[in-house]
Amino acid sequence: MSSIKLDMSAHEGAAALLRHLLGSGKVRAVLTPRKDPGTGAYDIGLVTDGAGLENAVPVDPVMIANTGQILSSLTPAAKPLAVMVKPCELRAFVERVKREQGSLENVLTISYTCGGVFPIEKVIEDAFGDTIPGYFKQIASGEIVEGTRDTCKACEHFVPCNADVTISIAADPSSTSACLIYLNTDRARELLEGLEGTRSDDDFDPALTGKLAAGRKAEKEKLFGSLISGGDGLDGLIEVFGKCVGCHGCGRVCPICYCLLCDFESRSFDYDFSYFDKELAEKGALRLPPDTIFFHLGRMTHMSFSCVGCGLCSDVCPVGIPVASVFRKVGEHTASLFDYVAGRDVEEAIPVMVFKEEEFSDLG
Amino acid sequence: MSDPERQGARLKTADGTRSALRAFLKTALENSAADAVLLPVATPAGDSYAWILTRDPAVIDNAGPVAPTMPVQGAKALKSLTRKGKGAGRVIAVMRPCEIRAAIELSKLNQVHLDNVILLSHDCVGAVPLQAYVNDPAGSEKAFDAMLKARKTDDEAVKPVCRICVDFSLVDSDLHLGMIGLAGESALLIPASDKGKALLESMDLACGEDVSGWNQAAAKLKVVREGKRSKVLAETGAPLKGFDGLHAAFSDCIGCHNCQSACPICYCRQCYFDSEVARRDPATLLDTAVARGGIAFPGNRVMFHTGRMAHMSLSCVSCGQCTDACPVDIPVADIFSYMAGLTQETFEYTAGVNDGEPLPLRQYREEEVGKVHEIVRGAEEEEAAHE
Repeated sequence: MSSIKLDMSAHEGAAALLRHLLGSGKVRAVLTPRKDPGTGAYDIGLVTDGAGLENAVPVDPVMIANTGQILSSLTPAAKPLAVMVKPCELRAFVERVKREQGSLENVLTISYTCGGVFPIEKVIEDAFGDTIPGYFKQIASGEIVEGTRDTCKACEHFVPCNADVTISIAADPSSTSACLIYLNTDRARELLEGLEGTRSDDDFDPALTGKLAAGRKAEKEKLFGSLISGGDGLDGLIEVFGKCVGCHGCGRVCPICYCLLCDFESRSFDYDFSYFDKELAEKGALRLPPDTIFFHLGRMTHMSFSCVGCGLCSDVCPVGIPVASVFRKVGEHTASLFDYVAGRDVEEAIPVMVFKEEEFSDLG
Repeated sequence: MSDPERQGARLKTADGTRSALRAFLKTALENSAADAVLLPVATPAGDSYAWILTRDPAVIDNAGPVAPTMPVQGAKALKSLTRKGKGAGRVIAVMRPCEIRAAIELSKLNQVHLDNVILLSHDCVGAVPLQAYVNDPAGSEKAFDAMLKARKTDDEAVKPVCRICVDFSLVDSDLHLGMIGLAGESALLIPASDKGKALLESMDLACGEDVSGWNQAAAKLKVVREGKRSKVLAETGAPLKGFDGLHAAFSDCIGCHNCQSACPICYCRQCYFDSEVARRDPATLLDTAVARGGIAFPGNRVMFHTGRMAHMSLSCVSCGQCTDACPVDIPVADIFSYMAGLTQETFEYTAGVNDGEPLPLRQYREEEVGKVHEIVRGAEEEEAAHE
């Protein structure tokens, strides 16, 4: 008994699942995206009574903040929580757990095959709500939806890794009329024992999503290839990050960047006038505030192999730098050096935290 | 603007104001009248501007030096240069009036040291919103040049706060470039402090020109803008009343705090709301959710904005950087300008004036205690009357 089929669309089924969990009393709270019907504004609600779920839109194509980041503040959980997470949010949370910024204990993770989300600038448009029904139809047929985040269109990790529950949405033609819920763990089977629906022994078959995976991979190659025309060196970096205003919004919304105070905002990066004098004498000119490119390189060094490509950094950039695409590209390269996939498995150690004597001997 | 003795040096601007200013700055470096210049220079990709400190006259050829847009508030550039103290060399900083006012506020907060800085302001026609600029640099340059040529703000092209700016001309800078009310072929370099006077003298620039035409035109525009500002800000403020009003205004906020990091006044390395102190433990958050039936993330939305208001609105210069940086298009600058109008009026304080007046919250006045009692009593009576 590994799956339950509900006789309603997958997005309705996801909400029904949350109502059931909260109503059964088996979880104390549910964490889910919600939408205010009046203003159209989204939030992520920690809901403890059924009324709070009226506005739940668990699988809307929207990410105003990475739930993986929010989960750090809610865990370790003293009482059972059910949390609705996109695959990349779950992976981000797993990366945080590895950094002791949260715990999976007492957390029932519910995720789904994800069709991608729209950039926040689209989400705040008045007519955004009208596009959602069409979106669900398109993703059911396995399409890559035009206008979704660049890193979503290029995301190959749209099937959740190690979620307790997986809802079948993207690349599942039946998802517009049926909600297939896969129970992947004992915890899921126990907590959803009383959910009424058609039960079956089928496990989720990732092979069904092969076509979408191939499409996403092609999009990824296209995206990575289109990023920098000025080469891989400093010129290329200046081309991409030259207009950065140094707001560091990318670091603040990043679910991996967990430092309360980024080193680049600390006293380590305050300089005496004498330093600028020396730079001026050597170079004739310098940029203020300094360290524009250095910040991005520093952040890459710290988090790129854990980058899950959620795309929030691009969304908040005031000057439209494709931060997420660049970090995904670099991240994929750094992670591959270690045969590492961010958030794949909580038992898999972060590469730079592991000492292997024989590693990178070619570096001398 | 009211000094009747004030005179200026005429600067020929037949080839454009930007070009004339570049020539002036190059001469200042070549004559060693200054040791370096801080000014906006186009990025190599031509998609924005960055603050460049230079002593190389060749660099100035590529400089704005008045940029159509304001990617980083100039006071922030000056802060990174002088936070730890003044330098030995004299630096000319070419900045907008609101950037200079922010720099003055930061100097009162000990974050900027102005001793060896010569602040060069100019009549400001406004700044193109950052997003509009990066989306269309060529079109924005064209629109900005047209404004400079006409010496007139095009409301369609500039940030909302620029349309209602009342401090668009001479502020407490050392040297000012006056353009308003003058024919397009010339502008006036007007010394506004001993430092400014000394700079022009060291460059053998005689200051014998009458500035009354510019003065009157600027004063006239200021009156028009003041009327427009009170009207627009009253409209901004009307729906903000009470918690519901604030909640609605900030309902789209995603808690990225870009507004704070783009703000020249918010100088804390770590905002309280990003700190360990502001964190609640998981059990407290769950208890709060249980008590209320639920809580929303990102948390502290209204609290963050009202907290920021309480901390910086007395020094707000309405530069509009917060709105430029907001990814969800909240008119942060309008809201904060409205609040700043109220708080600055309450303390009879104007942000950005270098008159030796300390920040209101950094001075103790005995008689204020009585005033606070009056305000509290008044509020209590008003509340009682409602009940």
